[in-house]
Amino acid sequence: MSIFGKFAALSARYDRLKQSGADPFSVKFDDILSSVEGVVRGKKTLLFGTNNYLGLTFDEVAMEMSADAIRHHGTGTTGSRIANGSYKVHAELERELADFYRRKHCMVFSTGYQANLGMISTLVGKDDHLFLDADSHASIYDGSRLGHAPVVRFRHNNPDDLAKRLRRLADQPGDKLIVVEGIYSMLGDTAPLKEFVDVKREYGAYLMVDEAHSMGVLGRDGRGLAEREGVEDDVDFVVGTFSKSLASVGGFCVSSLEGFEILRLASRPYMFTASLPPSIMSSTISALKTLRREPERRTKLTANSRRFYNGLRGAGFNVGPECTPIVAVIIDNPDIAVAFWKRLLEEGMYLNLALPPATPNASAFLRSSVSAAHSDEHIDFAIALMTRIGREFGLLPNETNVCPFPVSAERLGATAATARALPTAVGAGAGMA
Amino acid sequence: MSEEKNELLAEISEVLETVVNRRVELRTDMNIVNDLGLDSIAVMNFCMALEDKFDISIPLHDMASVVTVDDLAKTIQALRSNA
Ligand SMILES: Cc1ncc(COP(=O)(O)O)c(C=O)c1O
Repeated sequence: MSIFGKFAALSARYDRLKQSGADPFSVKFDDILSSVEGVVRGKKTLLFGTNNYLGLTFDEVAMEMSADAIRHHGTGTTGSRIANGSYKVHAELERELADFYRRKHCMVFSTGYQANLGMISTLVGKDDHLFLDADSHASIYDGSRLGHAPVVRFRHNNPDDLAKRLRRLADQPGDKLIVVEGIYSMLGDTAPLKEFVDVKREYGAYLMVDEAHSMGVLGRDGRGLAEREGVEDDVDFVVGTFSKSLASVGGFCVSSLEGFEILRLASRPYMFTASLPPSIMSSTISALKTLRREPERRTKLTANSRRFYNGLRGAGFNVGPECTPIVAVIIDNPDIAVAFWKRLLEEGMYLNLALPPATPNASAFLRSSVSAAHSDEHIDFAIALMTRIGREFGLLPNETNVCPFPVSAERLGATAATARALPTAVGAGAGMA
Repeated sequence: MSEEKNELLAEISEVLETVVNRRVELRTDMNIVNDLGLDSIAVMNFCMALEDKFDISIPLHDMASVVTVDDLAKTIQALRSNA
């Protein structure tokens, strides 16, 4: 028995998947041509699984700033900020983010994953309590395991359930931190933030919102769900990432709470890892400026999301509960989902495949992320292709009684009401990028 | 085994059945992960359902030190008497 023996069950599952001829975990791109196009096995492929919401990975200005930073400041910082010091661009990036979020403080981390690890493991200690949504991203769960605070899990997007759990611990001393996400990365549903804020106030807890998928996406100015819901003053900490709308890599936390800066000497995932290279920070600053200067990208993203979501729903697919740029098609039979995913790739469309146990209810998701860089033609191609393959697999009724393009773009809430029953609060601890 | 303990076991079985959607025959020496075949998410969901059944708080790290059904029963008893 080797040291890898403990992975026998995982190995067997993976082998079974590969035998079906599909390996969603090791897709190889021969090349990436643009924010929304790549080449897979020599075939031009439309990318619908990138998190590249604003389509900024090939932004001319950002690329130029990045190249310039390398020429002037080198390829890497070769160490952490507490050991090797900070460059001017670290401070500039933190200032820009704090300004964007209208907060006093900002700390930048080397990835979004580490931002959650660094904040969650440090803000609460053994005499405090941490409250996590059951469907939290892996980085939030891992942050909870790195720290010492007792962890209580509440049902997904359920403020009453959270209140019940806070009530049970109401007499306990110590601080209480609640963590939720702006947009959940699997199904694209948003948190009922106003209601969470009410609960937070009632129990005197702190609230952290991970806006990884909602930065640049929601809110008039793109600050995320807290902005859209008008509750920014009640969100004590916003965590986010540069790896989605800002098209690079890295993470951050902003806050206006006094005393925040001490975390630079307390948060291990901040202290004991090399800081971001100047080229990354420069392109990130540029992308943030573009995000602020060009709200039309957000408008286009919203329109694209609606076109895609309504198109798939109109074709008869079982989609996630809300229309956001994360559009998930739920397929009960994981084997069909794998085959479907493989067919899509063969036909020139790439998206993410999410399989149980990382999904609720043992079903599988074909998970797309829409980009502002998609054209109407891209989206219509994707809807038509998915509809055709959906029919091939018998997932959709026959052509005659289906209207693939619904006439009106419905209000989001109406769909949520009917589809909310789907993900019955099961934690997707495995998460996905 | 005491009456009280038997009753607790029956209640735990009931909760478990709602989580795994099948009949389970609980014995005190059973290993929760190996014998009951619960993966990590199922364990967390089991924990959440137990919290609601008994109106207690079982922080995840308390659940991590629970190996057998008997450990679980003891943990729940202890948390209930604190409540
Ligand atoms: C909700 C959420 N938080 C944090 C992260 C981590 O971000 P990163 O991939 O930039 O490390 C992700 C994505 O991976 C995410 O979906």
